[in-house]
Amino acid sequence: MKMTGIIFSNVYDASLGDLTMHRTVASLPFGGRYRFVDFVLSNMVNSNISSIGLITKYNYQSLMDHLGSGLEWDLSRKNASFYILPPFASGITNVYRGNLEALSNAVKFLQANKPDYVVMCDTTVICNIDYERALKSHIESGADITVIANRELTAFEADSNDLMLLTDENGMATDLTIGQHPGEGALVGMGMFIMERNFLISIINNYVSRGRYSFEKDFLLSRFVEGDIKIKVYEFGGAVLRNHNIVSYFKNNFKIMKEDIRADIFKRNYPIYTKVRDEAPAFYSESSSVSDCIVADGCTVAGKVEGSVIFRDVTIDEGASIKNSVIMQGTTIGKGAKIENAIIDKDVTVTPGAVLIGGSSSPVIVHKGDTI
Amino acid sequence: MIKGKRKECIAMLLAGGQGSRLTVLTEKMAKPAVPFGGKYRIIDFPLSNCVNSGIDTVGIMTQYQPLELNAYIGTGSPWGLNRIFGGVHILPPYARSKKSEWYKGTANAIYQNINFVNRYDPEYVLVLSGDHIYKMDYDKMLQFHKKKNADCTIAVLDVPLLEASRFGIMNTNDDDSIYEFEEKPKKPKSTKASMGVYLFNWSVLKQYLIEDEADPDSSNDFGKNIIPNLLKDKKALYAYGFDGYWKDVGTIKSLWEANMDLIDPNVPIEIKDDNFKIYARNNAEPPTLFAKTSDVKNSLIAEGCIIKGAVKDSVISSGTVVGEGAIVLNSVIMPNAIIKSGAVIKYAIVGEESVIGENAKLGEFPAKVNASKKDITVVGRKTNLKPGEVVTQ
Repeated sequence: MKMTGIIFSNVYDASLGDLTMHRTVASLPFGGRYRFVDFVLSNMVNSNISSIGLITKYNYQSLMDHLGSGLEWDLSRKNASFYILPPFASGITNVYRGNLEALSNAVKFLQANKPDYVVMCDTTVICNIDYERALKSHIESGADITVIANRELTAFEADSNDLMLLTDENGMATDLTIGQHPGEGALVGMGMFIMERNFLISIINNYVSRGRYSFEKDFLLSRFVEGDIKIKVYEFGGAVLRNHNIVSYFKNNFKIMKEDIRADIFKRNYPIYTKVRDEAPAFYSESSSVSDCIVADGCTVAGKVEGSVIFRDVTIDEGASIKNSVIMQGTTIGKGAKIENAIIDKDVTVTPGAVLIGGSSSPVIVHKGDTI
Repeated sequence: MIKGKRKECIAMLLAGGQGSRLTVLTEKMAKPAVPFGGKYRIIDFPLSNCVNSGIDTVGIMTQYQPLELNAYIGTGSPWGLNRIFGGVHILPPYARSKKSEWYKGTANAIYQNINFVNRYDPEYVLVLSGDHIYKMDYDKMLQFHKKKNADCTIAVLDVPLLEASRFGIMNTNDDDSIYEFEEKPKKPKSTKASMGVYLFNWSVLKQYLIEDEADPDSSNDFGKNIIPNLLKDKKALYAYGFDGYWKDVGTIKSLWEANMDLIDPNVPIEIKDDNFKIYARNNAEPPTLFAKTSDVKNSLIAEGCIIKGAVKDSVISSGTVVGEGAIVLNSVIMPNAIIKSGAVIKYAIVGEESVIGENAKLGEFPAKVNASKKDITVVGRKTNLKPGEVVTQ
């Protein structure tokens, strides 16, 4: 059984505030050399999904620049490709009223693609998942729709958009809430759904035309409450990093430094692909000190780096110290600068001696291209 | 093939040699496929030079253990050499209706591929070898070649007089024309050493290849036959002086030295150069993770590694794991090696996917400051050292 993939690139732009001012959520840098979209795109490619539609609306230049022809994800082939699906010119407002509205861009794409099933995903949830196994479970369950979910073991603060589900012993949903804990043993939705292609097309056509735009609230919840649809919950056991807002994004960058989470997300046989930049390996000078951090290719490190994520092509001069921070691609940290609890966007110049200190749950954010 | 289209200059890369002086490192792969500099293979340098010089058609002649190299080159897309007309082509020896034979020598390898070159109908053919580390703009050499109206231009490097007897030496006139070529002369008359980079007018080269093939006594070699024959016939041969970094990495010692040159700020080879990138096939590895216990100084470390121990004055290739308490000094670790905790590695080359067991000891500081080649300890590909094992030269 084959699947088509649908990816939402900017439904949740607003929640990541400053970082998505000039880019879609999908193109937000993460984990030292990736963008959010790399994870879901690689998962789809590794699950043998060969036709993928990326729904986008605005700010998608950086996304298109990142993806190019799709060659680096092995999607530039005669029988595998991805499509960027911008909206048709129409008078609708700048922000989506919901993901169903976003999906209305994709109806033609869905109609043109033969596979019987569709998996649709946000890009804000980072994991390494095999959708083929989820599809197998979906078909076996006989459900109308499968919600991919996991159990959050540590204290979990639900976001207003999180689906929470209780299941019976067969994994069929018995209760469904949005943004609130329904009770002991609840699973949390990962923004990933599997269903038949024709079923999804009929949902889009029926709901959007009646002014109902949220897949989860207007369709899933209301139809489930009425007992119209059967929902299978596919429990995913691997590491899951949810990026609801800047604070969770900031903390998740550090989580991939934990060896077990790293091993779970970056698997040799299920690689995460990204745009290749042909950078040289990173150079660490005699004066460098690196501990408890991740560093990508192309960096030159002469300063001290601790508990941080350093993206490609970052230069850290002698005497600079970086602690508990995320430094994005192409940034230069001058001599003696001190940075703590910060998210420094791409191509920033931190002048020698500058000091930037944020709080551990309220990081300082420096915008792309700025000079500090 | 697109009829009527042609290329001004194409490159022919000799990658068939065994590289036996690299001992265990070339048991299972051709020398050009040997890993270098953390994320590269030797062949990335001549290939990237071609691309950066505007040459988009490269024939790679392979013969010895070609599988690794073939897989690495693939369609050529990592170098931008997947072209509709041109691009990179692997050229193994092939069977013909009358006779089938291996490549007998460097000249014979190109002789057997005359038809390949003719497809592109080039004015010039650049002959390269796959065992040198250097960054060179061949276009400048081509402009020199045109200006001199040369039949053949040979790139030369000024070497110290004391070392000149290790190289093929070009003796030149004031106008850079070559009047004599001496292979490893006992008493060198000049210090212009051949870099193994030859640029020919294709019509001239083709004629000499055919004549050379007809000579049963020839060893079908550029240095031994083609160049001397051109000189004998008073063809226009010129030496093009190159003043950048160049290193033959044909031995364990020189391969180790070339890697060390990358971390020596006084050596003019810069691999981080946006205007002249060295391209390589990418393996989709995550960024390198440094644990709290890591201690890294003066080293080049590629992506996909997990470093928990100490790394000093070393080149660590992608996917390497250095365990807690392990020490790596003045060494080259090739891709995906695992250095278990407590292991100590000094002045060594560790082959791809090898495992150095807990507390094993590999290599030692050279007895003399001026290390001889015996002082570098080498562990081959996929070789395991048992816990506590001690290996020195």
